[in-house]
Amino acid sequence: MATEATGAPAEAPAPQEKGKQQAKPAAAKDTPTTGGDAAGEQKLTPAQLKARAKAEKAARRAKAKEVKEAPPAAAAADAKGGKGSKGGKQEGGQSGSQQRATHVPMAKRIQTSQAHKDVHPAVLAVGQQMATFALKDSIARLEATLLAFKKVIESYETPKGNSLSRHFVPHVLNPQIEYLTECRPMSFSMGNAIRFLKSQVNKFDIDTPEDEAKESLLEFIDIFINERITLAEVVISKNAAELIDEDGVVLTYGRHRLVEKTILRAKSNGKNFAVSIIDDPYDQGGKELAKTLQQAGIPVFYSPNLGGLRVHLERASNVLLGTEAIFANGSLLAPAGTADVAMAASAANVKVVALCETINFDRERVSVDSLTYNEIDPERCSAESFRLMFDTTHSKYITGVITEFESGTDFAPAQAILTLLRKREDPTIA
Amino acid sequence: MAPSQMSYAPTLGKLLKSLNSQPLEASIESLIYLLKRRQVKGDDIANATAHMLLQVVAKSKWQSVDQLLAKVSNTGLRLAQAAPTELVIGNVVRRVMGLIRDEATEERNADEMGDSVSDLSQLPATPTMSSRPGPTPIRAGTGLPMSKSMFNLLCVTETVSSPATGTSTPMSQGASANMHALRSEVIDGIEEIMDEISQADDQIAGFADIQIHPGDYVLAYLPSPTVERFLIKAAAKRRFTVFLASGERQKPGEAPHAALRKKLNGLGVNTISLASNGLMAYMPRVNKVVIGAKAVYANGGVSTESGCSIAARAAREYSKPVIVLSGVYKFTPADPSDDVAEFEQGDSSEFVEYADGEAVNALEVENIVAEYLPAQYVDVYLTNLGPQTRDHLATIMADHYKSEDMGLSLHLP
Repeated sequence: MATEATGAPAEAPAPQEKGKQQAKPAAAKDTPTTGGDAAGEQKLTPAQLKARAKAEKAARRAKAKEVKEAPPAAAAADAKGGKGSKGGKQEGGQSGSQQRATHVPMAKRIQTSQAHKDVHPAVLAVGQQMATFALKDSIARLEATLLAFKKVIESYETPKGNSLSRHFVPHVLNPQIEYLTECRPMSFSMGNAIRFLKSQVNKFDIDTPEDEAKESLLEFIDIFINERITLAEVVISKNAAELIDEDGVVLTYGRHRLVEKTILRAKSNGKNFAVSIIDDPYDQGGKELAKTLQQAGIPVFYSPNLGGLRVHLERASNVLLGTEAIFANGSLLAPAGTADVAMAASAANVKVVALCETINFDRERVSVDSLTYNEIDPERCSAESFRLMFDTTHSKYITGVITEFESGTDFAPAQAILTLLRKREDPTIA
Repeated sequence: MAPSQMSYAPTLGKLLKSLNSQPLEASIESLIYLLKRRQVKGDDIANATAHMLLQVVAKSKWQSVDQLLAKVSNTGLRLAQAAPTELVIGNVVRRVMGLIRDEATEERNADEMGDSVSDLSQLPATPTMSSRPGPTPIRAGTGLPMSKSMFNLLCVTETVSSPATGTSTPMSQGASANMHALRSEVIDGIEEIMDEISQADDQIAGFADIQIHPGDYVLAYLPSPTVERFLIKAAAKRRFTVFLASGERQKPGEAPHAALRKKLNGLGVNTISLASNGLMAYMPRVNKVVIGAKAVYANGGVSTESGCSIAARAAREYSKPVIVLSGVYKFTPADPSDDVAEFEQGDSSEFVEYADGEAVNALEVENIVAEYLPAQYVDVYLTNLGPQTRDHLATIMADHYKSEDMGLSLHLP
């Protein structure tokens, strides 16, 4: 809420601020990206990020120019929106949908010029990509956020008379996080990672030299990405690929990175099977997945919507589901429609397996219905119509969850999440 | 040819208008083509079938009841084969055949008491078809037909398969006069059936304010004309909210069912489109689900538009009632042969464009347009005769179809 107070006055000087920022980021940008390339192990992502960031930057400059002439009304509206801007749009247009889901947040495009002045350009770019759903699933967002934070750390200089461990989080990191949250509600994975990052900062002694602290934070982030994202993906797809039956039919819903990796891996392991893809007509990621799999030589049945689901399940040998997050009670937060698929599958006695990195686990939040934690698709939110992006799948419909952890059994019931997390924190627990 | 087809494209309306001027065979053929192209849909099918059977009775040449029955069932069979998933065709044929049997029995009873040697005499004497389109009177001996049905069935197939002989019906001097009277009686009867079909929606809508309460959130999945009328009727008396859902993709900013929404909004009822594939997410807020049936099976299962079972399943999960709207003429006295077989594939080009060459070659697109909703997901069948439960479907069917016709199979290979 502090930002709202500071945010409003900050709006006015923003255009001028832009001028200064434009010069600075250009310099700040080159150094970190080359660093990222040197790190190398992120393969394409830093490069892609750089390209995206560049495009965003160009757009931002154009916008900044426009905004200079733009009427202050827009700024005022946005300022009023601020943190509570979830309501902003809804109060305006939605007479019908309003009463449905006012409490459900929605991603929102914030003009970069309206952002808090302390927001780092790399974070600005990531925020824009999140708001426009260029970065969509929780892990892509997490990774982009962490890489942007690396740049924030690299360009950070502790002001005189302050210590990194005391100054960095409240004055530098928090504005970034608030901005990102405004662009789109944070994914659980981002929440988890930020918690880890903050606790890492807090561990520093007040006298730790700045360079050493920065170095250690950068390393922490690298290891984090490596362990919780890159390796997790490998381990999960490897374990899950073993669940695919020879000559079976795998049914999946929409397109999820882990599911795609799993199927491709199973194929390259020499298994013969078919894939039945149920798509969400509003997303159509499944169509892309279908093409990819087809190119890999896997027979694909494609169904454009949930119609006739029972027929598709009839021939399926198991269902692989990608998830956005898993709640403490074992419920899945996953793209809207997943719950319907899982329920129908368990009614048809088909095994339902969810794939999820442990970073997506949430140990505090519990969700019993789909309106507890959800988002509205900003592109489909009008007076007459709205679309929830996620739904909650009760754990009773899930046969098991595959995580990168628990490599002994590879397969944990959804309710075992809390235990898994505890063990993750402290591997000595049996 | 393609461009000219647009302007001369046959439609049901045109066909029905031209029925009197066209030869019978031509009308039947053009209806078959309309059915094959799926250009006649939903509730129009029952109406069209009734119209066509009326023409068969009125125009074709027949000397005996058996010949007439054969002609009717033969035409019905051709229509049904053109649209095998449209069970209403069979229903209307059964109704008309039942009607013919009734009328024939009556004629005979009136003219030559006890003279008949045909199997028709085994039917219990029935009073005249009620002139009301409402419930047909319950026949005496409703409980009995089951024990007779096997025998009757066999008799019927026999006579139908050898219609030309005409030996089973005595041709007395007054026969042709009788047949003439019979013809006009049957035509009247078919007109009554047509009235029933056209009034069914209104009658169903008459129960709307009983089922929908103020403040309700009603989910209508792919509202059929029946459901639309039901909602509009309810909206005249109640303030509630309608969720509209469909499995089809809507473009951003565009909301389907514009006409329905406008009418409902005009009556002060809120409508919200759920632009969503799955419905579980919304179900906690929904009070009841309304689904329009394409047909209802004897076991209570319902043939619906694709996706309705998603809505019904989600409703069951949250223990919300599912109301199926169906005119009695959609009740089909048969069990689904195989649950899984009861679906229909539709046009796949909507989902994968031809511009997308890769996908056209590669994908096995399955666009299912009709599916089977098992009886366990349905709470109430709201018919033009009022709300019914699964347990009483058999009684209703027994009232509306002759046991000889129940086993009529229109789905021959």
